[in-house]
Amino acid sequence: MIDNIIHAAVVMTTPVLLAALGGLINRVGGIVNIGLDSMMLAGALFGLIVASMTGSWPVALLAAAAAGGVVGLAMSLAVTRLQANEIIVGLGFLVAVAGLVRFFLSAAYGSSGTLSLPDVARLPRIDIPLVADIPVLGAILSGHDPLTWAAWAMVPVTVWFLARTRLGLRLRAVGAAPQAARALGLNPLMLRDLSTVYAGIMSGLAGASLSIGVVGIFNEGITAGRGFIALAAFYFGRNRPWATAACALLFGFFDAFQIRMQGRGVPAELVQTLPYLMVIVVLTAVALAGRRAKARRA
Amino acid sequence: MQLAETTPDRTVRLGAQGVTRRFGPVLANDAIDFRALRGTVHAIVGGNGAGKSTLMRILQGVDRPDSGVILLDGAPAIFAGPADAFARGVGMVHQEFMLAPGLTLLENLVLAAEPVDGFGRIDRTAALAKARALEALAGVSLDWDTPVENAPVHVRQIVEILRLLYRGADVLILDEPTAVLAPAQVRELIALLRKLRDEGRTILFISHKLDEVLAVADEITVIRNGRVVASLPRSSASRDSLAEMMIGEVLARPQPRAAAAGAPMLQVTGLSARDLRGHAALTKFDLTVRAGEIVGIAGVAGNGQDEIVAAATGLGRIDAGSIRLDGIEIAGLTLAQRRSLGLAYLSPDRAAEGLCLAAPIAENAIAGHHRKPELCSHGVLRRKAIARHVAALLDRYSVKRASDRQPAGSLSGGNQQRVAVARELDGEPKLLVACQPTRGVDIRGIDFIHRCLIDYRDRGGAVLLVSEELEELVTLSDRIVVVYGGRITGEVARGTAGLEEIGRLMLGGKAA
Repeated sequence: MIDNIIHAAVVMTTPVLLAALGGLINRVGGIVNIGLDSMMLAGALFGLIVASMTGSWPVALLAAAAAGGVVGLAMSLAVTRLQANEIIVGLGFLVAVAGLVRFFLSAAYGSSGTLSLPDVARLPRIDIPLVADIPVLGAILSGHDPLTWAAWAMVPVTVWFLARTRLGLRLRAVGAAPQAARALGLNPLMLRDLSTVYAGIMSGLAGASLSIGVVGIFNEGITAGRGFIALAAFYFGRNRPWATAACALLFGFFDAFQIRMQGRGVPAELVQTLPYLMVIVVLTAVALAGRRAKARRA
Repeated sequence: MQLAETTPDRTVRLGAQGVTRRFGPVLANDAIDFRALRGTVHAIVGGNGAGKSTLMRILQGVDRPDSGVILLDGAPAIFAGPADAFARGVGMVHQEFMLAPGLTLLENLVLAAEPVDGFGRIDRTAALAKARALEALAGVSLDWDTPVENAPVHVRQIVEILRLLYRGADVLILDEPTAVLAPAQVRELIALLRKLRDEGRTILFISHKLDEVLAVADEITVIRNGRVVASLPRSSASRDSLAEMMIGEVLARPQPRAAAAGAPMLQVTGLSARDLRGHAALTKFDLTVRAGEIVGIAGVAGNGQDEIVAAATGLGRIDAGSIRLDGIEIAGLTLAQRRSLGLAYLSPDRAAEGLCLAAPIAENAIAGHHRKPELCSHGVLRRKAIARHVAALLDRYSVKRASDRQPAGSLSGGNQQRVAVARELDGEPKLLVACQPTRGVDIRGIDFIHRCLIDYRDRGGAVLLVSEELEELVTLSDRIVVVYGGRITGEVARGTAGLEEIGRLMLGGKAA
């Protein structure tokens, strides 16, 4: 029982973590990307289609990343080159991509909302011998797909990238002081575009982890607002990758718990709101505790 | 003193020839000529709105002249932008600092020209070695891992200057560099600039503070109303002659007569308050300001002045004590209530607190008075009445403007401050709390604002004056209260103490 929940928690954390790390980089570069969910949706759809067409999960992941990246690029250009408001553009992309996906499903597959394809190459599970048999630790480490491993590997890499690399430094500068960065000869708009494309790629992969990792079919509600939870994660983590990951894990845990709770007499719709509700409750509690600790120090 | 005539081999490193720039009907730069020679400090002096900022933008490539050219090494040049100017050795330290928050000082230093290894990783050792070398050059010692937002203002300025050197700039343009510095820091800056000059760099020093210009410059170009009115070597310049050239007339310093003080308007007793970090800033502080009296507060920044002002205006919380305005306890009242009882406040931070720069001048001029029945009936603003009121008010304070509807931010700093002064003195408040009332204002504006304060006092107004300009305090104040560490270390009446005595008290020395 507990092992099942832990395992499911790690699985459900992956999409949120991937999108949150992408959005984090985007925000460091100076754009608050509320359209992450739309990029996830595009990645989920194209990941599934290509997984069915080619039968190869790595190719499917590439396709999902490309789909998310293209949506990210389009959004970024609207913000950086046309000086459109990032919130409005983000909202627009959420609505537009959802509409396009629905249209595409009915036009190309004649289906309404759900797409089930034959021969979908699912993400493989990596079972670690011996470790898999250890209680708790086995559930944490064993039986997860490559995307989960990649997502967690990206946490320290993101820390290192921002703190130690030239590109990371420039991205931070461009986000914090675009005027100053421009005066020094940097190109803030280009760096911002780059960061949004990266956010799109990461969100596209997040979408694929849902469609070819968790379930194996596509549904227009597959993201279930996880792009927004990702937003909450890097906001709450104040752009610190580990804190962001902790917040993603929090959501993943309650998401797994929610799945367990279903079919036990409580209405499913109510149970499904649990992870979202708990994210609000826990983040509020942590913020209040932080404020109290600060007041005590002063 | 080295002059151009005596060293003809010197070349023009940066200059302007006939630079003209027009904005609509306004001629911001009218055939500006100047030549900054290699290895000199060249000062460009002018009041608010003289055209200095426009000229700087052109020299940075942010703006292009309508006619005329920039001279670089004696030849005409066009800069595509600040980065291009930078690449050709011309760098600028802006009035608002241009360091990126969230980055350390070291990261800011190397930004956009980082030493890296083969993997795009920043070579911290190499960066730090260069930082240490520059540090030695400047004769300072810095903690390079401090985040920018934790570094004091003068340290940030030094880092900006070092960054220009790091990037290989040999022409340094400094726009009002001393506006944010304490006197001792100004002296350090001047010493640093002299050193850089002696090493062969060229420095363009933009300022309206004549004492500093005279202390640092080799050559001085004075501009007024967009034109060069004089170009002269330091040796033939004096404070009075420069002031006259800058404003086109001779200003007599105001000489307020001694006045009899009346009833207490502000009575602070037993005030205790903490600073933003939560440390005790004031303990059992007492202060009285009477009608018809200007009381100055002198002190090195951060010795409790901010908390006194915050307590009186209601902008900050207090721990204990009583604050009375014309006999009425106001310690627990809101800002609006205090204002309606006759409190006025001239903020030291014009851009963030004093005015709303994006809003029209007219709205700025009635802010806080907008509830009065003559300007507003039943929650609806009376536009015509407001327009009439504002026009008359701003004319009385000689605010130079094209329209009352233009954004306050489009005015020069001096005119912005006039709008703030006009608004605060409108309706004859009982008490004016004036903080740094002439910060960033040119000589003519300073003179005007000083006269406003003196007239207000003569009409029976009470002024609590906080200023970092000692001369301003001495000129205006009937009494000066000196604070140190949140306590009063001395009080001097008008004409009884010199600057040295006040300076000694400011450093904690007890009154003799």
